Amino acid sequence: MTTSTPKTIEITVKPDGSTSLETRGFTGSECQAASRFLEQALGATASERLTSDFHQSVAANQQTTQQR
Amino acid sequence: MSHIVEIKTEVRDTVGVRAACDRLRLDPPVEGKTRLFSSEVEGLAVRLRDWRYPVVFQTATGEAQYDNYNGRWGDQSRLGLFLQAYAVETAKLEARRKGHSVTEQSLTDGSIKLTVQVGGAV
Repeated sequence: MTTSTPKTIEITVKPDGSTSLETRGFTGSECQAASRFLEQALGATASERLTSDFHQSVAANQQTTQQR
Repeated sequence: MSHIVEIKTEVRDTVGVRAACDRLRLDPPVEGKTRLFSSEVEGLAVRLRDWRYPVVFQTATGEAQYDNYNGRWGDQSRLGLFLQAYAVETAKLEARRKGHSVTEQSLTDGSIKLTVQVGGAV
């Protein structure tokens, strides 16, 4: 039996109002779709960084497709 | 972890502004024309504590207009704290509208961390 990581969005707001947002527990590009409503509500995206989990799940999907 | 985004907070939601004013125990915002030192501007005016003139937000564009004479007529850090309160309250409102649960935590450096549980409470 496998347990999945809960899907969360962490928002950290500094005392100067600047905000960073980090998604956890999502697979592939669903993290971007999940947090988009918050990003749009809060303001303008200054930068975005995709983490290793995002790339690992994209690579896994590509490998599965090639094996067929 | 999947992705990390840095956001420049822009004040665009009147409900979020009201909630931020409540959170900081400020007077409610006032919509209309406001006299600043050098001009009269139209928008949503918020009177920050110990500021000579209100800060006026253009919610259509997210811009803020104010005259604080480089800090002499109002501590710039109070505007930062207002933006923090606005971002926190707006994020909570939006997350709850989507049916997600939110917890809030104060960090030692003065930052506030929200954790949004996607899909609601466990």
